[in-house]
Amino acid sequence: MRGEEETDLAIRRYGDMVRRLCMIHLKHEADTQDIFQTVFLKYLLYQGEFESEEHEKAWMIRVTLNACKDLLRSFFRSRTVPLEELTNYAHQLTDDNREVLNAVLALPQKYRDVIYLHYYEGYTAPEIGRILGRKVNTVYTDLTRARERLRAMLGGDGDG
Amino acid sequence: MDKRIRQAFDQIQAGEALKEQTSAYLEQVRARGRSSAVRPWLAAAVACLVLMIAGIGGYQVYFTPTSVLSIEINPSVELGINRFDKVVTVQGYNEDGQALADSLDLRFLDYQQALEQLIASQSIANRLEQGEILSITVVGEDASQSSRLLAGARACTAGQENIQCGHGDVQILEEAHHAGLSMGKYQAFLALQALDPTVTPEAVYGLSMGEIQDWIARLEEKADSTAQTGQAGQTTHGNGQGHRHGWETHE
Repeated sequence: MRGEEETDLAIRRYGDMVRRLCMIHLKHEADTQDIFQTVFLKYLLYQGEFESEEHEKAWMIRVTLNACKDLLRSFFRSRTVPLEELTNYAHQLTDDNREVLNAVLALPQKYRDVIYLHYYEGYTAPEIGRILGRKVNTVYTDLTRARERLRAMLGGDGDG
Repeated sequence: MDKRIRQAFDQIQAGEALKEQTSAYLEQVRARGRSSAVRPWLAAAVACLVLMIAGIGGYQVYFTPTSVLSIEINPSVELGINRFDKVVTVQGYNEDGQALADSLDLRFLDYQQALEQLIASQSIANRLEQGEILSITVVGEDASQSSRLLAGARACTAGQENIQCGHGDVQILEEAHHAGLSMGKYQAFLALQALDPTVTPEAVYGLSMGEIQDWIARLEEKADSTAQTGQAGQTTHGNGQGHRHGWETHE
């Protein structure tokens, strides 16, 4: 069992990321709280060693996404997920922020993960493939399609 | 576009309250781990407390459940938990549940010990091994006790992939009992009924949680495919079955 200092550091270091991953899958405050507890409980109880910070971060992403999927399969999730719930996440969102996030949330689930991991976390397609357990070619295809859809919704500015 | 995406996601952050709550929850789990080391002392203290309470006429306080833990796989069992987190009532909600309740002596145990015994019992352990889903629902009017029980239930089932824990509503518990179902099964029934309003409680009475979940999955799939007709590429991944992947499998 990990100590308080270690888990607090992990919450500080990965809390925002876990929350963003929850947002693109769950959209409900109560569910997010559940996932937060589940993810960091797993971290507390995890007995393996992390080779590096990058390894630890990839583990966190995987555990969070799995926990989200498990929750979506369980009876305890909130079964309605209106996009308007986005407003609960940040009152300070500008119109542009909201437009972008709504566009991301309108994507199929598998595209949301790759878009977030690539654009925000800066992972390359091979790295995303490793984290999500998907073939690299599939990740490339997903990224391209997700980008096309986002451009169609948001209007592209040609940055590749 | 990438700049806009980064800026938008930058605004989504975990609030301090959420971080602190999580931190406090982890501390609670750690404290539970530590408390097992001082259990004999604690047991004596609790015994004294019980005597004291009994002595001042607190019999009713001790024996009144303040929360319910509904354990559902196919044996349906509900544990009534008093304000001291002890099991004071054990109720089976179907034949298997009653047989299981009769075979174990769970009264007056700490709720976590009772959960551990139930999960280790042969009828539940066998079903878990076969991949059945066990759901544990915590229902109670005292929010802090409910959170504590839920955290404890999660902590003692943390290594089990087929166990789901969650909160339930007091009013729904009453409806469940009225329908003759345990809380866990009634919640599953409600999820099912939302997809098919013709389903009755009787239809799920003899089903296991796994069977109800399969039924729900089939209805959801059907609803999805109807909703997505004409929306090419809108399908999601393979329903979570293939998400335990390599690199690091300990999760």
